[in-house]
Amino acid sequence: MIRNRLYHDLTNRGITGWVVAGLLVWFYMALYFTESLTPWAQRVGLSSKWDLYGLLYTVVVVAGGIGVIRKYGNNRYQVVRTAVVMFVQVVFAFSVPMMLKALHQPEYYLSYFWPLKFDYMNPEYLFAQPWPFVVYTLAASLVGVPLLGALFGKRWYCSWVCGCGGLANTAGEPWRHLSDKSSAAWRFERVSIHAVLGISLLLTGLLFYSWFSGSKSPAVAQFQTWYGLVVGSILSGAVGTGLYPLGGTRVWCRFFCPMAALLGITQKAGKRFHIRVKEDMCISCGLCSKYCEMGIDVRTYAQRNESFTRASCVGCGICAEVCPRGVLRLENQSGLVQISGVSLS
Amino acid sequence: MRLVVVGNGVAGVTAAMAVRARDPRAEITIISGESEYFFSRTALMYAYMDVMQRRDLEPYERKVYRKQRLERRLDWVVDLDAGERTVRLMGGESLRYDRLLLATGSRGRRAAWERELDGVVRLVTLQDLDACERWTPGTQRAVVAGGGLIGVELVECLLHHRVPVTFLVREASYWPAALSAEEGAMVAAHLRAQGVDLRLETEIASLEGEGRVSGVTTRAGERIACEMVGVTIGVEPNIDWLRRVKTPPALGRGVVTDQAFRTSLPGVYAAGDCAEVAGRIEPLWYAAKRQGEAAARAMLGETVEYTPPTYYNSAKFFHLEWTGVGETAAGPGRFRKLPGREASVRVIEREGVVVGFSMLGSRWNHRVLARWVEERRRVEEVVSRLYEAQYDGEFGRVVL
Ligand SMILES: Cc1cc2nc3c(=O)[nH]c(=O)nc-3n(C[C@H](O)[C@H](O)[C@H](O)COP(=O)(O)OP(=O)(O)OC[C@H]3O[C@@H](n4cnc5c(N)ncnc54)[C@H](O)[C@@H]3O)c2cc1C
Ligand code: SF4
Ligand code: SF4
Ligand code: SF4
Repeated sequence: MIRNRLYHDLTNRGITGWVVAGLLVWFYMALYFTESLTPWAQRVGLSSKWDLYGLLYTVVVVAGGIGVIRKYGNNRYQVVRTAVVMFVQVVFAFSVPMMLKALHQPEYYLSYFWPLKFDYMNPEYLFAQPWPFVVYTLAASLVGVPLLGALFGKRWYCSWVCGCGGLANTAGEPWRHLSDKSSAAWRFERVSIHAVLGISLLLTGLLFYSWFSGSKSPAVAQFQTWYGLVVGSILSGAVGTGLYPLGGTRVWCRFFCPMAALLGITQKAGKRFHIRVKEDMCISCGLCSKYCEMGIDVRTYAQRNESFTRASCVGCGICAEVCPRGVLRLENQSGLVQISGVSLS
Repeated sequence: MRLVVVGNGVAGVTAAMAVRARDPRAEITIISGESEYFFSRTALMYAYMDVMQRRDLEPYERKVYRKQRLERRLDWVVDLDAGERTVRLMGGESLRYDRLLLATGSRGRRAAWERELDGVVRLVTLQDLDACERWTPGTQRAVVAGGGLIGVELVECLLHHRVPVTFLVREASYWPAALSAEEGAMVAAHLRAQGVDLRLETEIASLEGEGRVSGVTTRAGERIACEMVGVTIGVEPNIDWLRRVKTPPALGRGVVTDQAFRTSLPGVYAAGDCAEVAGRIEPLWYAAKRQGEAAARAMLGETVEYTPPTYYNSAKFFHLEWTGVGETAAGPGRFRKLPGREASVRVIEREGVVVGFSMLGSRWNHRVLARWVEERRRVEEVVSRLYEAQYDGEFGRVVL
């Protein structure tokens, strides 16, 4: 009982939850704005605080991932997806960059793309890199990401590859239900996420303009610094991860990530990925909504017998997993085919 | 039109919303003594398990009631006067109606051996949930009596809180109302694997204890010490209160209505679990919703001839999911345990024609199964096309 109460407190915005959130935010502040972690990094033989952060991140993803695989062990989608996320984190987001660094090469994170990894489309940086990387980045960011988004939905990235989503879906699991389900949050989300996308597109445009014109105005440089600070450090780090115990695991992904906005648009436009609702079987229990980390009120669709595609849906599949009546199913196909019992292609 | 709805369950609220959708000017009042807002009774177990909070049980945001101008009263209706067209609330207020919808749902059946003791619980109302939560801490063992769907939910909740449970089931096989003997054995094995002390063919004879329950004695004379007893021996239409009102409607097993949900009283309708519609009671969530919707149309004057669709239901016994369609109890049918999995399919036939399905351990599209039943398909054909009705998640399709 004590164990249950503590767990409840930690995962339902109790005192422990607030304390952990405070510690996490403090950790991010220390990481981004001080060098206090550098000695710790050196103590374990790493050259910088960022390497230490990468190591910690990877350890936490792997440990959380093992927990998730045990929890959802009889759901193959969850097992495969989680295994892939762990693999990508260990290999592409940690080992490869570390190896490159050891070989005195630039560290490339091949599983991150623009506009999430904003610098990768900064011409000043990008065109200073060897050509295979330039080709890879341009092809992936401009063609690969949206194309796969249209074909398989946002999930191919946000639930299978991205490290931020990876952390949310592994170590973040105990807090996934804290996402805000209100329609007010939805209204905010639609404005905020597209605003960040707009800002990041604008900045990219300005950087390209500066690069072509050969002169960068101080205002653009300042804009760039400001974007790095507000979006990169505060929103994606301190707010996005630090507030797991208060706002759920996808605060950054849902409200601010420019990549999510872009993928959301392609997911809607592609009209292939959707969540199918089995007709007249929903008992309105609300588990799906509760455990949707993106705060989508899945129950509202399910109880209206409406299959749906929401731009914000990361295709984590947990709504389908927790549904006690097997109402929901993630699907990829063209057209939104409602089940009427007529065709079942 | 003045519509008064007694009961804010799924039938009542669905009806109120459906009336609002068609008649923007109707005055609508929904009354319930149980809760201020409509909540999902089906999710009581998740609140008990602490995987959801009370507020999460509400299917609609609270502002919806204001937006749709659905007035609410937290009170019990204690009198009905069909002559004056009024209902009276326990608090004293009287409400006039042009149309009255009785949607008072079900209540847990009482057992002959029951006594008013602390620690004796059921899982039907929010107040039951309060009681369950109150008595769980400190309970060393609980006995749950009655092997229906609510019983297994209560057992799961208790085990979730690490309370050892002895689960007493009267029948020789688990839930014979829907499951075959083989399926019953599979569910029984599943429950036992989760740590449930399941006793078939066992019934309580009496409760022990003063103040707080301290144990039960079975019919066979065995004494089981426990601090909680769950009574889950089924539900029945919640109509007793109607026997005491000034003008009771005709009552059978439930409130008797025709196919348009009209009771014997003018302007008074009934829907959901409490209604016996053309001789049938359908105590299911989806049915209550469907009936609420249809009753709304009837109350607005449309011609309605409600006939229940082919029966279907689904349930979950801990991790074991079940889908049933049609006449699941009609016979052993063609049963097959699926290789390498805790799953089975049973296609029930009569003279070579499919009449029902009972599927354990994997997900199915009940619509497709029901259509096969309605179209009276031959069993051979259905067996060979069974995969068309599978609904397992990606990467998880069960091999038939
Ligand atoms: C634990 C549990 C699990 C269930 N799981 C499932 C499931 O998985 N699938 C399924 O199909 N069905 C399930 N059911 C059944 C389902 O909940 C019911 O079929 C459904 O709730 C019926 O809805 P209703 O609107 O008719 O009545 P109810 O939901 O019972 O609502 C009736 C309301 O009327 C109120 N009321 C009664 N009398 C008065 C009065 N005199 N004055 C004022 N208010 C009054 C009651 O307090 C209650 O709030 C479950 C039921 C329980 C208890
Ligand atoms: S929303 Fe952005 S940060 Fe989150 S998983 Fe998707 S791409 Fe990654
Ligand atoms: S709707 Fe379902 S699949 Fe989409 S994000 Fe929410 S829980 Fe995940
Ligand atoms: S979890 Fe399933 S049954 Fe519950 S509200 Fe969602 S879709 Fe409906």
